[in-house]
Amino acid sequence: MVTPVTEPAHGTEKSSSGDAGLHRRLVYGDERALAEVYAEYGGLVRRVALRVTRSTGAAEDVAQEVFAHLWSRPYAYDPRRGSLRTWLSMLAHRRAVDWVRGEARHRKDIRADDDALHAIPEPGPGPDETVVDRERSLLLHSALAELPESQREVVHLAYFAGRTYRQAAVELGIPEGTAKTRLRTALRSLAETLADPPDPALERGA
Amino acid sequence: MTAEHDDVRDLLAAWAFGALPPDERRRIPPHLAECESCAAEAEELRETVRLLDGAASDLPERNGGVTHGTASVLSAARSARRPAAPHVAAHAAPYAAAVSGLSALLAEAEGRWGTPVVHDWDVHATVAHLLAADEHLAVLLGLDSRVPASRTDGADWEAAWDLRTADVIAHEYGRGPQETVAAWSAQAEALLGTPEARDPALAARAVTLMGARLPVSDHFVVRAFETWIHTDDIGRALGVPVPPPPEEHLWQQVRLAVRILGAALGPTAPPVLLAVTGGDEWVLGSEDEPVRAELALDPVDFCLLVGGRHSPREVPRGESGDTDAVRNVLELAASLAWL
Repeated sequence: MVTPVTEPAHGTEKSSSGDAGLHRRLVYGDERALAEVYAEYGGLVRRVALRVTRSTGAAEDVAQEVFAHLWSRPYAYDPRRGSLRTWLSMLAHRRAVDWVRGEARHRKDIRADDDALHAIPEPGPGPDETVVDRERSLLLHSALAELPESQREVVHLAYFAGRTYRQAAVELGIPEGTAKTRLRTALRSLAETLADPPDPALERGA
Repeated sequence: MTAEHDDVRDLLAAWAFGALPPDERRRIPPHLAECESCAAEAEELRETVRLLDGAASDLPERNGGVTHGTASVLSAARSARRPAAPHVAAHAAPYAAAVSGLSALLAEAEGRWGTPVVHDWDVHATVAHLLAADEHLAVLLGLDSRVPASRTDGADWEAAWDLRTADVIAHEYGRGPQETVAAWSAQAEALLGTPEARDPALAARAVTLMGARLPVSDHFVVRAFETWIHTDDIGRALGVPVPPPPEEHLWQQVRLAVRILGAALGPTAPPVLLAVTGGDEWVLGSEDEPVRAELALDPVDFCLLVGGRHSPREVPRGESGDTDAVRNVLELAASLAWL
């Protein structure tokens, strides 16, 4: 015997909103959730990919790959471990760095991808400034992709997503001082990569 | 060295990244003008960020919210995984979503098919069980069975159910997990493609399945429920937390379970007010006033109880009044489990 006492009034929206709610809908195959995620973070993902690849075509490919990955492997993202914004930004960056490495591998005149990122441009009548910068930029992005996740998260929010370090601290649930310190540690180690690029010969144990 | 010096030095990285709020940003230039070491560090960090930026003017960045490219991104995604079956009626939507959810989880099972899940089943056998469990409704709706028939003549539904699961698991162990997943998935798609999945009027027909005479539409909700509970089992086994079904689907399952529970309790049991957190309340048992006890359960916990994944004693709950009446409801709810 069942007697309903109240009219249905489902009010628990908290689990349906935010990243956990989006994740839940992605898991259960709700395509509208993917469209919402894309509308929210598509710009960020493309911007990150473009910074690294400098190619709109490549950025487009990376964006497709990133969102296809989120959709086909929704469990790769765990909402308990961080925000969707940070996760997508880091994934886009990683895929973009991989894309550049793949490009480098395809170039005949370069033997190995690491060399490509560290290569000094052909000696010529004075170094072409933009080519040098480009190589150094790739070296930096490659190093950024290797930073510990705790540092990368803050860098992604503060740099790619345009948050202040205080906003980033709130979003990550860490003290402001910690966010500040992680940004400093991250940027210092990038600067040092630049000052003292890893020697491919040494890395190979030669 | 001054406090101002230390403060500013600590802010330089955030400043170089453009991540300082305006009040702190204003503190930087005056200090750099008088501190050589900070000025040098600032220059180095700025240069690093400049290189990360690249030649920003070269970047063909687009303005405004990015809504272009949506179609190509969505179609690329769709070719990697199909969305939950569209165009099904409300009664079949929870099953469509549950099938999609299990497919997504099974993508994480690669290389771990032998992980023990529940009973003596591993991940592979649990999918095989679902292939067997869904088959009963599939056959009823005129679909062909995908595994050679079992000899179940004369057995009651529970014995026939268990035998069929055992036979299908044995059969599926003869092939790879991917083939079992493909068979389960194809059968699920076929079920969702039946006219009964799309047409509520056709699905209103009552049929007896698993000892219960219910409309086909309810049997679809039962399939969703079992699929979700086993998905949750597999998720726990793999250490991947499975979110509960979308709110609307969860409540369809709660309401059906309450109806079945109420029917099982009968019209003479001591009345208990059941409040499922988030909205609905029912009086279960007799219509006598006043109710003997009140019981409050979270919708997911209620489903896990009915699914046999919470014991009546341990299920998180709020209760007041006659403890025997509450225990009666909880134990009966748990006894409904057949999974």
